[in-house]
Amino acid sequence: MIEVKNVTQSYGRFADRDILKDVSLTVREKSITALVGANGAGKSTLLGVMTNLVPARQGVVTLDGVDIRKIKTAEVSKKVAFLKQTQQLSVKITVKDLVEYGRFPHCGGRLRTADKLKVEEALSYMNLADIKNSYLDEISGGQRQRAFIAMILAQDTPYIFLDEPLNNLDIRYSVEMMKVVYRLVSELGKTVVVVLHDINFAAAYANHIVAMKDGEIVKEGSPDEIITTEVLNPVFDHDFHITCCEGKSVCLYYDKASKRCAI
Amino acid sequence: MLFAKKHWKRLIMIGAFVILLFLSLEIGALSDANFAAFIAGDETARLVFIHSRIPRTVAIVLSAAGLSVAGLIMQSISRNKFMSPTTAGTTDAAAFGLLVAAIFLGHTSGIVQTSFAFAFALLATMLFTSIIRRLKFREVVYIPLIGMMYGGVISAISTAVAFRFELMQTMVAFGMGSFARLGNFTLVYIVVVPLIFSVLYATKFSIIGLGHDFAKNLGLNYNRVVFLGLVIIALISASTFVAVGPLPFIGLIIPNMATSFYGDNLKKSIYDLMLFGANFVLICDISSRLVIHPFEMNVSVTISVVGGIIFMIYLLRGMHGTKKPRAKATAG
Repeated sequence: MIEVKNVTQSYGRFADRDILKDVSLTVREKSITALVGANGAGKSTLLGVMTNLVPARQGVVTLDGVDIRKIKTAEVSKKVAFLKQTQQLSVKITVKDLVEYGRFPHCGGRLRTADKLKVEEALSYMNLADIKNSYLDEISGGQRQRAFIAMILAQDTPYIFLDEPLNNLDIRYSVEMMKVVYRLVSELGKTVVVVLHDINFAAAYANHIVAMKDGEIVKEGSPDEIITTEVLNPVFDHDFHITCCEGKSVCLYYDKASKRCAI
Repeated sequence: MLFAKKHWKRLIMIGAFVILLFLSLEIGALSDANFAAFIAGDETARLVFIHSRIPRTVAIVLSAAGLSVAGLIMQSISRNKFMSPTTAGTTDAAAFGLLVAAIFLGHTSGIVQTSFAFAFALLATMLFTSIIRRLKFREVVYIPLIGMMYGGVISAISTAVAFRFELMQTMVAFGMGSFARLGNFTLVYIVVVPLIFSVLYATKFSIIGLGHDFAKNLGLNYNRVVFLGLVIIALISASTFVAVGPLPFIGLIIPNMATSFYGDNLKKSIYDLMLFGANFVLICDISSRLVIHPFEMNVSVTISVVGGIIFMIYLLRGMHGTKKPRAKATAG
């Protein structure tokens, strides 16, 4: 159980700018929580605070009731996995190398039989068994993203935090990625918190959506509660047109004034 | 298939290493002192081998292997393929340390010299890494450029200090890398210690190379591993500098060449990397002894020429990582 209690996070020389203002949130177990909001709303910062990548300055984040700042990094990494948005790779490692790094919190670099088994499981679960000896710079963007997810699977944590996993992915790979995230929850019982830019992906795949603006949580709830013009228009400072398609709410966010129809 | 290929590569490198070792021991100013004589029990050959040839060859292998590993760790820590002890002021600071030891203590033992060189190298490298951490440059070439300027400043200070204390000649002597020096070679055995630590921490250094957040996600104490890496780099640079002098380009091109063959997973490739570096320097050393036989050229000259050419080729091709990805595997 991860709970965020009254976290205020500021940065700048005189700490004059609050990135998070008194944010409280309880992460729903075994479901997908999507954080949405405009650029600079504090989504990534909140993710960083929840994973203790950036320790909370005021307020507290608890992992199973214990202040996460007081837990050793090595212990946190057995429970919480975190994947950042950009994976610029300047190193040449194979898919298997990467997935083996995921076992590091458990074995410290010396893989035992059980660790190797976990690696193989993660590779085959993510359909990477055929290309496990390929270098990461030789495979497609979608495959690379899957390799990182496989690493997190090998890390074997109940909590998974993803910061904009769909960045740089085309539509096909984005959908594939979200399906994978969905399976992580439905088949493996993981708890996933994901920052998404595209609200339609949030609407389609998340169980719970948290809408953020200017460092505050504006509203949280089910997709049906959040994907409404009343909530989204102020959050994004934009006029949305929301329609229903095959039982899911869909946002149309092209400029209505424009003569050219974008969709 | 992949395994077989990997094994062949390693086997060829080991074969080359053995041949080069033999040549390195066989060739020398005194052509009577060769392997046949040594085995036959010739006294002159025995003396030459034990006091000159063997220490020299060991010094080559250890310093080359050490600098290759130091270079790769530096590139991992800075996530920059253009970094090496020579492009971060480490080597220049080691020279400065040596000079300071000469000023205050006069002619001291190698261990004291190495300690001074090590302390200065470590401080300078730590200062440099803390400076570049504050700079947010996107272009990877800027950092080694700044490092070279930084090294330039350090060596300018050394020169000024040397001039003031009338130690210019000592300074000039420091600046030449050579395996022909006698006496100080034993210092190079110090390199074994950091090398053992690099093997033990190999996985950690590779993970550091994937970035701060990535390392922290895996529960790694980032700052501690970086510090250990810097200690290893400084120790290797200092002891090779005191023992054989600067060996330019080794820490830069060997890791780049080796990783393009073996990849960046240090745990898998560290022995290959050491072998690669050792073979490269053995070839350079043997050729610099053959060019004007029975005299010899400074090995740093040969390394500079060969290394410079290879470095140019890499620059023109684009170091790997900035290179465009090769043919994409089937998506899906």
